[in-house]
Amino acid sequence: MATLTLDRKSALRRELEAIVGRGGVLSEPDELLVYESDGLTLFRALADFVVFPTSAEHVAALVRVAQREGMPFVARGAGTGLSGGCLPSEGGLVISLMRMNRVLEVDYDNQLAVVEPGLVNLHLSWAVGPHGYYYAPDPSSQQACTIGGNIANNSGGPHTLKYGVTVNHVLGLEVVMPDGEIVWLGGKTRDALGYDLAGVFVGSEGTFGIATKIVVRILRKPQAVKTVLAVFDQIEQASAAVSAIIARGLVPAAVEMIDQLTIQAVEDAFGCGYPRDAAAALLIEVDGLRAGIEAQCERIVDACRQSGAREVRAAADEAERQLLWKGRKSAFGAYGRVSPAYMVMDGVIPRTKLPYVLGRVNEIVAAQGLRVGNVFHAGDGNLHPNILYDPRKPGEEARVVAAGAEIMKICAEVGGSISGEHGIGLEKSDFMPFIFSAADLAFMQRLKTAFNPTGLCNPGKVFPTRKSCGEAGPVAYRPHPIEERGLAQRF
Amino acid sequence: MQGLLDKLRATVGAPNVLTGIDLSPFVVEGRTPDVVVLPGSVGEVGAVVQQAAAAKVPVTPWGGGTAAAVGAPPARVGIVLALKRLDRLVEHEPGDLTVTAEAGLTLEALQTALRARGQWLSLDPPEAERATIGGLIAANASGPRRHLYGTVRDLLIGVTVVTADGSVVRGGGKVVKNVAGYDLPKLFIGSYGTLGIVVEATFKLRPLPEDERLVGVTFDRLKDAGAAARAVLAEDLIPNAIEILDAAAGAPLGLGPVTLVVGFDGLREQVEFQASALADMTASLGGRRATTLPASAWTHLAAPARDAFASPGAVMSLSVLPTMVADTMEQGTEAARRRGLASAWAAHAGVGAVTGAVVADREAATVAAVLAEWRVIARAAGGHATLAWAPLAVKSQVPVWDDPGPAGRIMQHIKAQLDPNNVLNPGRFVSGI
Repeated sequence: MATLTLDRKSALRRELEAIVGRGGVLSEPDELLVYESDGLTLFRALADFVVFPTSAEHVAALVRVAQREGMPFVARGAGTGLSGGCLPSEGGLVISLMRMNRVLEVDYDNQLAVVEPGLVNLHLSWAVGPHGYYYAPDPSSQQACTIGGNIANNSGGPHTLKYGVTVNHVLGLEVVMPDGEIVWLGGKTRDALGYDLAGVFVGSEGTFGIATKIVVRILRKPQAVKTVLAVFDQIEQASAAVSAIIARGLVPAAVEMIDQLTIQAVEDAFGCGYPRDAAAALLIEVDGLRAGIEAQCERIVDACRQSGAREVRAAADEAERQLLWKGRKSAFGAYGRVSPAYMVMDGVIPRTKLPYVLGRVNEIVAAQGLRVGNVFHAGDGNLHPNILYDPRKPGEEARVVAAGAEIMKICAEVGGSISGEHGIGLEKSDFMPFIFSAADLAFMQRLKTAFNPTGLCNPGKVFPTRKSCGEAGPVAYRPHPIEERGLAQRF
Repeated sequence: MQGLLDKLRATVGAPNVLTGIDLSPFVVEGRTPDVVVLPGSVGEVGAVVQQAAAAKVPVTPWGGGTAAAVGAPPARVGIVLALKRLDRLVEHEPGDLTVTAEAGLTLEALQTALRARGQWLSLDPPEAERATIGGLIAANASGPRRHLYGTVRDLLIGVTVVTADGSVVRGGGKVVKNVAGYDLPKLFIGSYGTLGIVVEATFKLRPLPEDERLVGVTFDRLKDAGAAARAVLAEDLIPNAIEILDAAAGAPLGLGPVTLVVGFDGLREQVEFQASALADMTASLGGRRATTLPASAWTHLAAPARDAFASPGAVMSLSVLPTMVADTMEQGTEAARRRGLASAWAAHAGVGAVTGAVVADREAATVAAVLAEWRVIARAAGGHATLAWAPLAVKSQVPVWDDPGPAGRIMQHIKAQLDPNNVLNPGRFVSGI
């Protein structure tokens, strides 16, 4: 997009204000700074405008202005994403959906809800909780992240092992297409008519359009929940326990692994009751009927003991269960106590490859002279190595990126994927060739063109961008045009 | 055509190119294909598609043929590309709870191999002994256990397809959680071969449950069975199937007039507990004779409405809100009766998947009028209807597919991008695709 002149920019601002109202447009560099990153601070980009629509019609009108101007646009939820997916990497319009945050309808008999994209994930479970229902996908950021953002990334969470990821809970979407048309994909009934457009839209990282209403399934809360903590002196024993649980024909609701570095950070920060000297702990949850829950629990305890657990205990009450989960879900925050910054990886591997890959991850990071903490969805094989670093130390960021690339390569080599739930975004786009051929990517590109023919809807994401093959790792930071013109400064 | 036949024989070997009398099992809607080709490798599938595209002959992908009659009648069947020689179980790692199989493997063969190792693919569509992996993806086939375990979209994690230009494309992968790139597996589910030919697929698996039981309960009226199904949904029970069958569809179970069938699986004590809770609950709602059904009843639940007639006049699938299931069945029955026709109805009640079959009639127009009314009923119940099977005379009067509205244009754009020369199964799908 050509750089906007100041005159043109103020004319555009007036036009955007006419659509969303005067309090709904930001265009001053200091205001825009808040929106320059998501949860992955390695990447930054400034928008020309951040706008706050309150209806699908607003979104449609904004999109049409952007198309007319040849201006890129990108939807944004709470900005908790971890791949730079909602960044205005080519400038233009950030369409924040945070003012569209209502629960529009709840139909308990049909076990569905219709919500707006800016609704915070956990708020939906709060809304339907008093009736005995909940929304199953539970990313660790669920206190902040929005359902719309979950749609873009097909977000997971600890309980996806039994309950599936976001797409398994979405029935239909009202979408503002990249050309401004408002279209329903799917609806309230289970079976799609024609292609499963709702299924394809979920996880398209904001490149197929902007969801403005979402029909999700809500589930009955399980009658009973049991949470078990298993403590191991060797990380290999913990990996073996994961396999042993699966081999016994059990499908727990969640199997999460936490390594020593992470346990210590969590204990320093929150004191959740994990033993500080353990090499690894598994947090295992079973849920469902009261009948049989003890029997399942016993089988899990048995599998852990057989695999060498030094201690296995069930949470005595709901308070202890919440505390254990707090340790798991707050782990990312706790890294702040041991390192000024960290980068979280998101590779997925076949479950049987856990021991091998965890060993390789530690070697790779150590070879770069860095430390790594692991807290992840072991039952799904979805790793989250968190590489700790100090951005102020010259060269350290580059080493993080290099280690990340190697970890993704290992995941690909064992038949896995480079992302399980965080998305490709800006961060991993250049690593797509690790798992997809040129033909695969060309096919995906044609699918994108069917939805987004001008490419203005969230450009620069998902697909590899770099032409030269000599470079390694993503470009961490490029100055924004506004900075170059001296209109903004970075602190 | 002779030139093309020669090329095809050179590609897949002469014995794998069928012509003449051998074409008869592959007739679609009264139209005979030009040729049937049985490639023996993914590479051969790609070569056949390229040759077809170059000769401007349409390609009709073919698995077990169980869904060949779904869709608008084709203008020309062209080359039937049968995948039955691609029938390997590529990889099953029990510890990963995943399996990769070629498209031509039958579901029954896959399940047999998986069962031997204590696992299963949690899909139970009709005709598992004929239905193939590729076909069940293309037709989005499902059965009663979808209530708990979902449909293909909840289980398929990776696909390899041969695209309209003959190239090989992979989407998804072999791991159970994966958001890298667009979700191509979703694109091919229910696409009836119009966007690419699935040649290999990877699924999530489940451990076989320790125990499973089907319980049938008799009701006098559909309305009461519907209320009972809703009550089951609102309870803490975790059934794997909730079926409602009317008198005609449920007759073989011997429990009528209306039968509610609920399935449970899991640990023995979970199954016991739930079966007895169900009996108590339904008794208070007008249900009688809660009876444990033999395991063989599962087979009957796959397509009970269609099976109610030796030769049905038409079969329609209606997707409605779960609360509207019993009303839909009642209204559908009444719509047929008003025109003097018997019908049979069954539903996966918890997910709103209803099937109606109408008896054959000399007057195609009468059957067509009933079907048109059924479609109106489905729409009023918040859903849509698909003509799952009907003779040509009926299809010429009732569209097979509902109108998807503006979403239809997006579907057309996708088809235009991915199969610009309209090679794959043209003219049979939604919105004229």
